[in-house]
Amino acid sequence: MAATRRPRRLTIVLAPWCPHCVPLSVKHGRRLARELRVPLQILDIVRSRQEKVADRWVRDHGDASPDYLIPQVFLEWSDGSVQHLLTGFSEQVPRTDRAWRDLFASDWLRSVRSGSRA
Amino acid sequence: MSRVGSLPPVLRATLRSPGGKCYRHCDRPIREFHLASGLPGVWTVRACPGGVVSVTYYAEWTGRDPTRDVRRALERCTFPKRLVRSWDLRLATREGPELGRAAERFLATHPPRRGVRVVYWRVYPFKAKDGTERRLLVCRRRAHAHPVFFAADPAARRWGCPVCARRSR
Repeated sequence: MAATRRPRRLTIVLAPWCPHCVPLSVKHGRRLARELRVPLQILDIVRSRQEKVADRWVRDHGDASPDYLIPQVFLEWSDGSVQHLLTGFSEQVPRTDRAWRDLFASDWLRSVRSGSRA
Repeated sequence: MSRVGSLPPVLRATLRSPGGKCYRHCDRPIREFHLASGLPGVWTVRACPGGVVSVTYYAEWTGRDPTRDVRRALERCTFPKRLVRSWDLRLATREGPELGRAAERFLATHPPRRGVRVVYWRVYPFKAKDGTERRLLVCRRRAHAHPVFFAADPAARRWGCPVCARRSR
């Protein structure tokens, strides 16, 4: 088995005007970063420099469209790989909230915390 | 399961999103209905009782991006078809952990591993040349082979469905 890999950083691509993003996904993102014991990186697409980086993340690892959905959440691992975790639900804000809650209750998160996903 | 890409009940159930109100139009509850498209996945339209469309989304259990097929299918039932723009089509991948435990376990135990791809079509209100507002509406008269999408002024007394002629509010 390869060397043990660990979560390294959580990244959220968002915009401050998006109700799926702020405050909802910032709040949940902070909690997830805490649970994974990793720093949280926020890429705000309203700021042009961050937007360029965000576009690259979405294009390389996420759900790319000409006017892509936000928020998009990614987890970087110590081996350099990037995992797309969540894209906001366009239906309504409570649905995105439910997705975050399901993520917190997921088998995946339990296994990452226990180290079995490494 | 009947077709490749079709959604099994456990995935269908978790993707349902009832509730919500018609934003900045009538504030009445949003209703969901399904659209027959010939594509293997499930197409859902969220609209108010007056026919103003909030969003439509197509969901397929697949490893590929179905956006191109969705666009073609939408163009067939939208008048004029230039209303369907790439800019308004947005892709989302549902991996499993964010879909609830039942869906997560289903996806984890049914290889090949692939998520659910969802393509949203949301047309934001826009201004016509005369300055009045236009919104995306849907006409579901039984005379149509499929629902008809078109843009109209939701404040007008009558809307003109381009296929079945006039339809009152």
